[in-house]
Amino acid sequence: MIVIILITVVSCKNEIGNVDHSVAFREVTDDLNRTVKLPGKVTKAVSLAPNLTEIIFAVGGGGKLVGVTTFCNYPVAATKIQKIGDTLKPNIETIIALKPDVVFVSTASQLESFTETIEKQGIAVFVTNPSSLKGIYESAKKVGEVFGQETRSEKLIKDMNSRVGEVEKKTKNLEKIKTFVQIDKSLFTIGTESFLTDLIEKAGGISITRNVETAYPKISKEKALALNPDAIILSDSVDNDEPNPVFENSNAVRNKRVYKINADILSRPGPRIVNALEQIARSLHPEKFD
Amino acid sequence: MKVNGGKFKVRSICVGAGLISLLAVSLSVAIFFGSENLTFFEMTETQRAILYDVRIPRVLLGACVGASLALAGASLQALLRNPLAEPYLLGVSNGAALGTMLAFVFFESFEFSRPVLAIVGAALATFAVYQMARSRAGMNVERLILSGVIVTTFLSSIIILMTSLLDATKLRSFTFWLLGDLSQATKGGFYLSLIAVVVGGVILASQARALNLMMIGERDAFDFGVEIGKTRMIVFSVASGLVGISVAASGSVGFVGLIVPHLVRLAAGSDNRNVLPFSALFGASFVVIADTFARTVIAPRELPVGAITALIGCPLFIYLLKKN
Repeated sequence: MIVIILITVVSCKNEIGNVDHSVAFREVTDDLNRTVKLPGKVTKAVSLAPNLTEIIFAVGGGGKLVGVTTFCNYPVAATKIQKIGDTLKPNIETIIALKPDVVFVSTASQLESFTETIEKQGIAVFVTNPSSLKGIYESAKKVGEVFGQETRSEKLIKDMNSRVGEVEKKTKNLEKIKTFVQIDKSLFTIGTESFLTDLIEKAGGISITRNVETAYPKISKEKALALNPDAIILSDSVDNDEPNPVFENSNAVRNKRVYKINADILSRPGPRIVNALEQIARSLHPEKFD
Repeated sequence: MKVNGGKFKVRSICVGAGLISLLAVSLSVAIFFGSENLTFFEMTETQRAILYDVRIPRVLLGACVGASLALAGASLQALLRNPLAEPYLLGVSNGAALGTMLAFVFFESFEFSRPVLAIVGAALATFAVYQMARSRAGMNVERLILSGVIVTTFLSSIIILMTSLLDATKLRSFTFWLLGDLSQATKGGFYLSLIAVVVGGVILASQARALNLMMIGERDAFDFGVEIGKTRMIVFSVASGLVGISVAASGSVGFVGLIVPHLVRLAAGSDNRNVLPFSALFGASFVVIADTFARTVIAPRELPVGAITALIGCPLFIYLLKKN
């Protein structure tokens, strides 16, 4: 009897709590077409991916972030926000303790159990995983909606779009340069599904591994040697600061056409991808960008 | 032990000849096939580079690694009188892997630090397992395997801890490498492995008679004048060296040291004067064939060769275990 009463009391309490919030609830749709219930005004948010953190800051939601990952190092303000673990291993207890209105998630791994636990606590989970330039625009638009910053996000998209247009205009009629993107020295590169394949093309190049399946395949040394790129782009990090020795006699190395682009800028599908595009275009076609 | 009767001699000559032919065929097939199709008679400069700088060193390294691991497995099994004694299962491979990782993290610029620390790691793991397994009653076989499991688990957890501390892209190439991966083959690595397998093979062969006697029992071996302590020391050191150099070059390719000597004994009996050289030959063919699959199945992408050896080795081993 006592147990029943206790349960009733507890469940009543929960309901009352929920009702209080839901007065101003609104519904938005995320990238997985899930309907996400949000309070009218989002005051606290957590981001579980560095590219989402950058998007959130770019649309003016950075001030609302109370938790980010250990990878989130841009903009500088993001480094001062509490860390909740990394993208693959977020600390659920820390997230719950922060009591955010919404958690932004990019990865689908362990999403189901994670979402279930988080949503049980009345915290919304918003999934957005941009994997193309268009996807970044859409993501920025949706994130803008979440924070009620539609004007900012529209401006961001317009700016990005016009910068992309500028680059495309300059590279449109140029010869496409055979480019190899080295993600890792052990010959991880970009394949069909990577957004960088499209980006290289916009920058006036052509990724020589564009037909290799998956997003970030590891290719064989034999293949790399046979491909003989005219330019190599290194996703620059401590352990990827020079081309694999297999490229020793490639046109790219012989003609000193090896370019380093900061790994964070190159690898994150976020607003700074336009910087990456401009840097690649300038590297491939320096004569057009003086 | 009358293993050298006429019938056995003919049989071992046949098996030996068969294994030499198998190795020749495996090497030819492996050099012929790859992710790139080569026109062997009129090669372009690039094709020549692919053949001589990439494919051949890798195939030959694979052969040396296979021979080394099979030799290490065969000699440990004879010494410890246990068919399950295998570098991978005893934690020796993991010791070498941890050594290689430490070298990678702390002495990245010195390439030779990897094989050196790998050998040190393999030797320490062997020593630890041996000390744990030793009891007053002598060398206990069950204790040995259990100690191997404990050391393997302990080293695995340190390896996992280290990969967690390394950043994401580094981690991916390491998971690949930990499974056994020949794609980083260099000519230098091949020469080192070749020297190791020749020197190690000769030293182990010199202990074949002693190992034969020890397989009957340490006591009997002692009565026949075998210096048990010395033989044990030699086998442990050489096996550690072979495993260390193999792991530093290609990660932990599992199951070779288990499955190869097992099949060799089925075909040619258990005289170590046959088992050791035959295991080396067959181990070389086994890894070369497995790596040919790893290189070509999803070309231009690649699989780690260790995944293939485990895929072939595991079911075969279960079958043998059930059959006997």
